[in-house]
Amino acid sequence: MRQHLLTILILLPVLGTMVAVAYSFAPRRQDDHYKWIALAVTILTFALSLLLVGGVGAAEFRFEENVNWIGAIGARYHLGVDGISLWLVLLTTLLMPIAILSSWTAIAKRQLSYYVFLLLLEGAMIGVFVSLDLLLFYLFFEASLVPMFFLIGIWGGERRIYAAVKFFIYTSVGSLLMLVGIIALYFIYGTFDYAAILAAMSAQPALLSPNAEFWLFLAFAFAFCIKIPLFPLHTWLPDAHTEAPTAGSVILAGVLLKMGTYGLLRFNLGLFPNMSRQFAWIMITLAVVGIIYGALVAMVQPDVKRLVAYSSVSHMGFVVLGLFSFTEFGMQGALYQMLNHGVSTGALFLFVGFIYERRHTRLITDFGGLATPMPWFSSLFVFASLSSIGLPFLNGFVGEFLIMLGSWTSNAIQHSWTATMLAATGMIWAAVYMLWMLQRVVFGKVTNPANATLPDLSAREIGLLLPLLILMLVMGVFPRPFLDRSKASVEAVRARVAAPPTGGSFAGNKPAGAQVEPRDLSFNALEGGH
Amino acid sequence: MNSFLALQFTPPDVSFALIAPELIICVVGVVVMLVDAFARPDQRWLTGSISLAGLLAGAAATVWLWLSWGGASQAFNGMIVLDELRLGFTLVFLLVSALTVLISMVWVENEKLPAGEFHSLLMFATAGMMLMASGGDLVIIFLGLEILSIATYVMAGFRRTDVRSNESSLKYFILGSLSSAFLLYGIALTYGATATISGLPGTTNVAEIARRLNDAQYPPLLFAGAAMMLVGFGFKIATAPFHIWTPDVYEGAPTPVTAFMAAGPKAAGFASFMRVFVFGFPFVVAATNKTVSGELHSAWVSVLVVLAIMTMTIGNVAAIAQNNVKRLLAYSSIAHAGYALVGFIAAGAASSIEQRNAAITAVTFYLLTYAVMNVGAFAVVQLIARAGDRRTEVEDYNGIGFRSPVLAFSLSLFLLSLLGMPLTAGFIGKIMVFRAALDQGYVILVVISVLNTAVSAYYYLRLIIVMFFRERTTSWMAPPIPASIAIALVIAVAGVLYLGLFPGQLINALQAKPIVTLSLR
Repeated sequence: MRQHLLTILILLPVLGTMVAVAYSFAPRRQDDHYKWIALAVTILTFALSLLLVGGVGAAEFRFEENVNWIGAIGARYHLGVDGISLWLVLLTTLLMPIAILSSWTAIAKRQLSYYVFLLLLEGAMIGVFVSLDLLLFYLFFEASLVPMFFLIGIWGGERRIYAAVKFFIYTSVGSLLMLVGIIALYFIYGTFDYAAILAAMSAQPALLSPNAEFWLFLAFAFAFCIKIPLFPLHTWLPDAHTEAPTAGSVILAGVLLKMGTYGLLRFNLGLFPNMSRQFAWIMITLAVVGIIYGALVAMVQPDVKRLVAYSSVSHMGFVVLGLFSFTEFGMQGALYQMLNHGVSTGALFLFVGFIYERRHTRLITDFGGLATPMPWFSSLFVFASLSSIGLPFLNGFVGEFLIMLGSWTSNAIQHSWTATMLAATGMIWAAVYMLWMLQRVVFGKVTNPANATLPDLSAREIGLLLPLLILMLVMGVFPRPFLDRSKASVEAVRARVAAPPTGGSFAGNKPAGAQVEPRDLSFNALEGGH
Repeated sequence: MNSFLALQFTPPDVSFALIAPELIICVVGVVVMLVDAFARPDQRWLTGSISLAGLLAGAAATVWLWLSWGGASQAFNGMIVLDELRLGFTLVFLLVSALTVLISMVWVENEKLPAGEFHSLLMFATAGMMLMASGGDLVIIFLGLEILSIATYVMAGFRRTDVRSNESSLKYFILGSLSSAFLLYGIALTYGATATISGLPGTTNVAEIARRLNDAQYPPLLFAGAAMMLVGFGFKIATAPFHIWTPDVYEGAPTPVTAFMAAGPKAAGFASFMRVFVFGFPFVVAATNKTVSGELHSAWVSVLVVLAIMTMTIGNVAAIAQNNVKRLLAYSSIAHAGYALVGFIAAGAASSIEQRNAAITAVTFYLLTYAVMNVGAFAVVQLIARAGDRRTEVEDYNGIGFRSPVLAFSLSLFLLSLLGMPLTAGFIGKIMVFRAALDQGYVILVVISVLNTAVSAYYYLRLIIVMFFRERTTSWMAPPIPASIAIALVIAVAGVLYLGLFPGQLINALQAKPIVTLSLR
């Protein structure tokens, strides 16, 4: 079973949909049972995915499966998991049961289709993170769009149709251009296989002309930057997030956005290191603009959900900044920040969902003084917000601190400390918008009588939050186990992207200051000598 | 005198084995007509069943030809050829006809139309399509085209009492005759131009034309002939700017006929279009741009590039504005002709036999996937439209998603496949043609096609949105799904998923490699 574990992880949710559909033909079916089926399937998937943890640690791929898929066009069914994808798979499988629990009472209509789409989405998302064949990756990447489109469109808010279409078309334009890039890569290297392409690249660096690499980098980066979303391409996100049902927002923020940064790390940095260095200043600039812009826009949002959505733009900017620092701190921090963002922002969307379920409004002005009627809600909400702000001892701090450290010491651009300083203001802005929102929603006097009698969180609601809250604390004080597992894989990508190949086509035309050299800062320095 | 005698006694180059599929379908057409004449009114299902059996027999004959594949061959002095192009396309036509029979069985019953006539016309149209793919001579191709067209003109106007159906038929007839005239004139000019200096008369044999290109006596005439044929074929496959007839004809024709027209004759047009241009005016490695064949080749390939871009863009952009589902699918079929043209261009520009065969396979596979998903979509449209095609506006689909989940979800699957989403047949089809075109270096063309795909998302999603995301205000009863349509839907859904997930075997088969495929799997 272990050698087919990844296939099982992908197919188990799909199998779950079949069970649910089969159950719908049962003579005495009840609509309430679908969520139990979905919950059981996702918990089982999560339990199985924990088996991955033990096997991963070194730089190479584990749990590999590599069989012929479409021989005529050279596509293979190649799966594998390494330190980069491991935690993202676990994040996916962890968030799914939570998302299903959060829909327990919120979703009353068309439950069968709802849980079918959620399960299909899970299969596609796991597939994205473990595919090592470019065509297979694209297949899962696009396949994740359709269930999300339906989730937003059927169970979303008032402007759901607009948001769903915008989400679909925006992201598919980007990924279709990536498809052209993938086929072009096939004609250069004769394979869709990621590992084979990497091997061919280091064996024959001259095969990929700088011009081709330029366009390929753009094709891939465009798709991923829309998904992340990086600053000028972010406009689909606030609409999609706001209109999606709570579970949809949690998955969207928690996992779907990570596909973009994961793609950048795995494919853009991994396959096109020369162009990544050339584009570093553009990406870093956009990331810094996104950090500050997202935070400033979040500050003035009247809607709590929109505020959290814009804070995502800001947080994902940090991830991109870390990735393009080409330092171990920065890139490890970026990966860590992806997980943090999934946990913290996922939790924030859950909180927004809780109050929306109770009041059917998300406007900040409609609330105030929730701490009195809902003490549990309020204290946990504050906890999650602080994690999102980046308070020391909570997870957000570790990721953002590592990214800053990496970006300060980075040689990817000249005067990288300016970028770091500007990005650091983002943390201040984050405190401003989150605390100000908390002040208006949670603290103060109960101004609206409708809020005075709101019921506090139920046991189910606290229970589904608990794993996330515990993770915030654990990841904040004890990041070692997480970082250790991903270290070797991240380092492999960093070594490729940071060191220009000797005699490579770009060695000559780089400005002197931009020469990136392997740094001797050992990663263990962070943990104290041992 | 001696040589004359020798000529007289050459045994005729006849091979019934090579035209067995065509013969079977023609015979079945006649049988259906006879059975219909003697059948009692309550035996009308009989003709459909006979047609289906005949189509199966034809498919069996084709598979037999494929299994005994020993390389390309020809008979009747090159009039009929057997090659990869023919085998793949013949199977596409047979599948389209079989699905059309299935979705029309109940329809002819409900509309009280003469079932036997409809089915025999369909058989003759199928025979015409098959001749278009198997003809190695311009005359045979033209004959096939006419057999197909005349049957289709009648089928388009099959609902005699309906004004829209009449309009559709008349429009198709007038414009179709015009395009046939263009094609015929082009054939005549090509015949005249290919006369050689050494005194041989002109030729209509495609392979012979290719041999004589650089020997052509009147090159300008050859160019004019090629241009006229391009217009004629362009009309049949509905490329812009020769697409104007499509929306009106597709909207007015009865839905099963529209399903047939969008998938079958279009594929047949592609088969003979490719036969004439890729094989007749081929890329010759040694030819420079100074020679006749070099100039002609680069001319038609560049014209097709422009046509492909226009076709895709016009089809997709116009589809956005449509409110009638049949019109919408008509414009979408124009756009799909554009995507298939991308693969066609790759076949034309290929510099080796392997690349050319790969590109032809890509086009065949694309049209096969298109046929499956398109006929599937029309099957649902026909059911929802009810008798007389009354409910074909987008508004009629409001909120039916959860009222009739089977129909709505299968229609959504077909639409997503038309859009080219992964896990469906449409995705692999698009990959195949784009891959072939990128192989020949048409990066810009592929990028334009890809952007067009993104545009098409808008109107395909619109139907899904209407079905699932809106609520229905008026009452609506889900139509019952008759058994024959259920079978057609199951075939189409399974086909879309199978071709989307495991297309490898079929792609190998389409390249006519029976021995290789059989030993591998």
